[in-house]
Amino acid sequence: MKELRFMTEFQHLQRLTDAKESFERANPGVRIVIEQSTDHFESNNAYQSDEAPDIIESGGWSLFNNKDMFVDLNPYVAEVDGLEEDLYQGPMRVARHNGMLPGLPVDVSIPLIVFNKEMFDRAGLAYPTEDWTWDDFIELGKKLTIRNEHGVASQFGFGIGVDIEWYEPFVFRNGGSYLSPNGSTARGYVDSPATIEAFRKVIDAYRVHGIIRKPDEPSAAGQLHEGFAMIFGFMWFTGDLIYHKIDDKFGVVGLPKMQGGDQSNMIYMGAAGVTSKSKNPRLAWEFLRHYIIERHSWPLPLTRSQAEDRGLTGHRLWSRYMEELDHVRPSGYYLSEKWNSSRQLINEDIHRMILEGADVSQTLRSWTRFA
Amino acid sequence: MAFEAEDRASAASKVASVGMASFDRDQSLVERAQQGDTEAFGELIEQHRNKARGLAERLTGDPHMADDVVQDALIRAFMHMGSLVDTSRFLPWFYRIVRNQANMRMRRGGPHRNERPFVSISSPETNGSRVDWEDLDSILYYLARTATDAAMREQDPAEHLLRKEIYETIHALLHCLSRKERDIFKAYFFRQLSPDEIAEMYRMTTGSIYTYIHRSRQKLRNEHIRVTLGLLPEKKGGSGLARHKLLDLRSWQAEPPVMSTFISSIGRMLASIGDQREAAELMGVSTFAFRMKLSDKTTFADGIYVFDWRATLQGLMREIGYEISVLCGQLADSPVPLLGAVERFPVVLRIEEAVLPFIRRHIDAGRPVLYFDTLVTRPYVHEWSVIYGYDDRVRVVHLTDPIRPEGKTLSYDDVINNPVRFLAGFGSKLEQTAGETARRPRETGTREQALRTIRFAIAYAKHGCEYRPRTSYLNYTSGLAAYDRWIDHLRSPHIAPNRYGMGQLSAVYAEAKRYAALYLRGVPLEGEAMRLAMLASVAYEQAADAMAELSRLVPFIRTSEVLPPDMREVCVEQLEKAKAFESAAVGYLEKSIAVKAGEEGSRQ
Repeated sequence: MKELRFMTEFQHLQRLTDAKESFERANPGVRIVIEQSTDHFESNNAYQSDEAPDIIESGGWSLFNNKDMFVDLNPYVAEVDGLEEDLYQGPMRVARHNGMLPGLPVDVSIPLIVFNKEMFDRAGLAYPTEDWTWDDFIELGKKLTIRNEHGVASQFGFGIGVDIEWYEPFVFRNGGSYLSPNGSTARGYVDSPATIEAFRKVIDAYRVHGIIRKPDEPSAAGQLHEGFAMIFGFMWFTGDLIYHKIDDKFGVVGLPKMQGGDQSNMIYMGAAGVTSKSKNPRLAWEFLRHYIIERHSWPLPLTRSQAEDRGLTGHRLWSRYMEELDHVRPSGYYLSEKWNSSRQLINEDIHRMILEGADVSQTLRSWTRFA
Repeated sequence: MAFEAEDRASAASKVASVGMASFDRDQSLVERAQQGDTEAFGELIEQHRNKARGLAERLTGDPHMADDVVQDALIRAFMHMGSLVDTSRFLPWFYRIVRNQANMRMRRGGPHRNERPFVSISSPETNGSRVDWEDLDSILYYLARTATDAAMREQDPAEHLLRKEIYETIHALLHCLSRKERDIFKAYFFRQLSPDEIAEMYRMTTGSIYTYIHRSRQKLRNEHIRVTLGLLPEKKGGSGLARHKLLDLRSWQAEPPVMSTFISSIGRMLASIGDQREAAELMGVSTFAFRMKLSDKTTFADGIYVFDWRATLQGLMREIGYEISVLCGQLADSPVPLLGAVERFPVVLRIEEAVLPFIRRHIDAGRPVLYFDTLVTRPYVHEWSVIYGYDDRVRVVHLTDPIRPEGKTLSYDDVINNPVRFLAGFGSKLEQTAGETARRPRETGTREQALRTIRFAIAYAKHGCEYRPRTSYLNYTSGLAAYDRWIDHLRSPHIAPNRYGMGQLSAVYAEAKRYAALYLRGVPLEGEAMRLAMLASVAYEQAADAMAELSRLVPFIRTSEVLPPDMREVCVEQLEKAKAFESAAVGYLEKSIAVKAGEEGSRQ
C-alpha cells in the first residue's frame, strides 16, 4: 500500500475528499491522507520536518516562489496529450513566472466590474460596454452616487476596498506597474509617471468625485450587493450572487480602458504542488491531475474543456470571467516577497492619501523602499 | 487687529505643535533605527532625502554626484546610527555626514576623475551589460561570465586589479560558509563546473548541489550586507570581546504554568525583578481572562494570537507601572505565521546587529527579554517566552519554553532567522518606579482597575475585539459570538474542523475562564456589586468546566488530522453549555456595574 500525504491550508475539503475517494477506488494500492495546516508557516515547517507531505496545497503563492521546495510539473504536463493546449494560458503564465511550474493553480479569482442593472435602469443609464473608458466610468459613478442633504450616501457609484493589490489592474492598464518585471526593484516603476497618474485617478475617485465610500465614511448604502451600482467584483462575489439567487439583477463587464491601452488584469490564486521531498512524485502528480484537471474541484477551472463541460463558457456571467483569464499577468506580490510583506504598511499610506490628502506622487516615490 | 493677532498666534502655535509632532516622530524613528529597525530608518530617510540631496547638489554642483553622495551618506548613517547619543540631533548629524561625503568626493576631483566607475572598465566582450556592484548576485554572475576569457583580461592592468579586488572580497566573505558549502561554491563559480559534474564529484544528487549553491548564495548575500554596512562580526573566542551573562530567572508562582504564554512570560519577567504578581491578577488586569477569538475559516488556533501585540503589551505594562521598549519586524523571504497580528510589522534584515545588541543591553542590565519563539517545543507551534541569558562564546541565548521547565537554548542564527521579530524589555522607568513607588498605584487604583477590566469584559463579550486585521481574507469572531462561530464550524457540512486547533483553543480558553472566575473573586467591590461579581465568578467557573470537558474530548496534541465527524456533536454540546454559563456571567457583570453606577449616582 502506497500512501500520499496531502497537506492543505483550505477548510472546505469536500471536493478534495471526493477526489481522494475516487482516486483510491481507481488505484486500490494507494491511500491519500489529508492533513490541515493553518498557514504558510506551518506548511513550511511540515516541509522542513522529517515527515514532509507529498503534496502541499496553499492559498497563496509565497511558498511556490521557493524553487527548491517543489517539483517542476512542466515535464508531467508535457507528457499528457493535449493538456498544454487545453490549459488557460493566463494563470499558467503567472504560475510559471520563475520558469518552472511549482504547482497547479487552485482557487483562481480575478476581478471584473459587476454592475447593478436595476440601479442603471432607475437612473436611465445604458449599461457599460466593453469599450468604456475611465472617464466614462467616473461619469457613470457620479450619476449613480446618491447622497442626502447631509452628504450621507444611500447609494455609491462604485464599491472597492482600500488595498494596494486591487488598484494594480488600473495601474497596468494605464501603462504602469509597481515593480520591475523580475520584481527586483520598485524604483523607476512605482514612481513612474504612468503609475502615479493611475493612482491619482483612483484617489480622485474617492476624494474629488466621491463615488467610492471612504474608510469609515457614514453610509446608508448597506452591503456591496445592496447599495453599490458598480462593484470591483472578484469571482467569489459573483459566486455569492449566484448562490443567493440574486444574480439576475447584475451584469458584468471588463475594467474600463485607460490611456496606456493595456488590457492586463490581476489574478489571485494559490496552488497545489508536489514537494521535492516526496518519495512518489509521479503518483502525487497523478493525484493532482485527477483532483484539479479531471474533477470539477474548483469554481474556475484551469482547462477550456472543463469550462465547456460545466457550461461556464456559455454562462451569462461566468463566460466573461473565463475570457478574462487570458489577460492576467503577475502582480507585485508574486514578484517580490518584500513588497508582499509590506502590503498593510502601504495600505496605511493609502488611507492617508484618501483621508488626509497626502501627496500621491511623493507617497509613491517613498514606496520605492518596499522592494 | 486683535483677532488677527490671535489668529496669527493660533497659527504659530499650530505650526509649532506640528513641528513638535514631527520632531517627536523623528526621535522615535531614530530610536527604532538604532535598534536595527530598517523600516524606521527608511521612513526617516524618506522624510529628509530631498533636503539632503538639495544640500549635496549645492555643495557639489552636480546632480548625479549629489545622488551618489546621499547614497554614501545613507549607508554611513545606518552604519553609525548606534553612535548617535542624542537622538534629537539626528538631522544636523545626518547633514554633517552629507557634507563630509560631498567634500570627500570633491577632493577626489569630481565624478569619474580619479574613481572611474567599475562599469566603465568593462570591455566590449561584456556587451555593455551592467554589473551592479552593490548586488552580490550580479558580481557572482559577472565572475562566472568572465572566467572563460580571464586570460585575455589579465593583459589589462585596470581589469586585473579590479578582478583581484573582487576575488579578495568574495574570499573574505566565504568564511561564513561551512567547508563543504565553500568547496561546492568554489567549484561552481570559480572552476565553472556544472551542478551535474559537482554532484558526481561529491557523490551527491544534482538537486542537493542546487540546494547547497542556493543556501550558500543566501548566506553570502547576508554576509555582503553586513560587510557593506560595516557590521563586521566580533572576533570569536579569546579576544576579550566575547561576553556572556545568565540571569537567575526566579520561578513564578503560577503552577501549572499559564497557557496564555504572553501573560506567563510577563509574569516570569516581573518575578525575575522581584515583582511577584498573582496569575489571576495578571490574567484579569491584562483582560486575557475574558478574551476568546476564533478564525472564521475553521477551528484553527491562530485567533489566540491575533491582537495588537505592541499596543496590548504597552497598555498592560503602563497599567502596572512599567515602561517597555519593543523591537519588532518580519522577514520577507520566509513564511510568516499569524499574519493577522504581524501584517503591520516592518520588513527587517536578517542581521545579527539588529537583534543581539537589544538582548545584550537588557540582560546586562539584569532585565530579561520577552521573545516570540517560533521554534517552540511541540505541541506548540509558536509562543512567547523569556530570554534570560546569552553567551557570545557559543553564540546561544537561554530562554524559557512551555514544555521544558528546565529552559533551552537557541543559536544566534535561530534568533536572527526567526520570521517574526518581537522582543521587548523593561524600559528606563523601571529603576525609577522600583519598590514602593511602583506599588503605590496598585494599592490606590485597584478598584478603578477592576472596574475597567469588568467593563472591558462586558464590551468584549457583547461586541467583540476592536482589533481587526487589515488583510482582507483574515477574519475572526470574538466574544460570545465566538461560541456561535465555533459551533457553526462543527456543524457546517462544508467545513472541516481542525483537530489540532480544537485542542489548543479549548485548553487555553478553559484556563482563561478559570482565571476569570478567580480574578472576580478577588476584586475589591462591596455589597450588592460584589455579590453579583461573585455570581459571575461562579458562572465563569461553570463555563470553564464545560470547556475543560471539551479539552478532555479533544486533547491538545500535535496532529495534522481532521476532526472525526462523530466527535462534532459531542463537542457542540459542551460549547453550548459553556456559552450559556458565560452569557449568564456577563449578565451578572452588567448588573454589578449598574449597581456600582447607581451607588455613585446616589452619593452625588
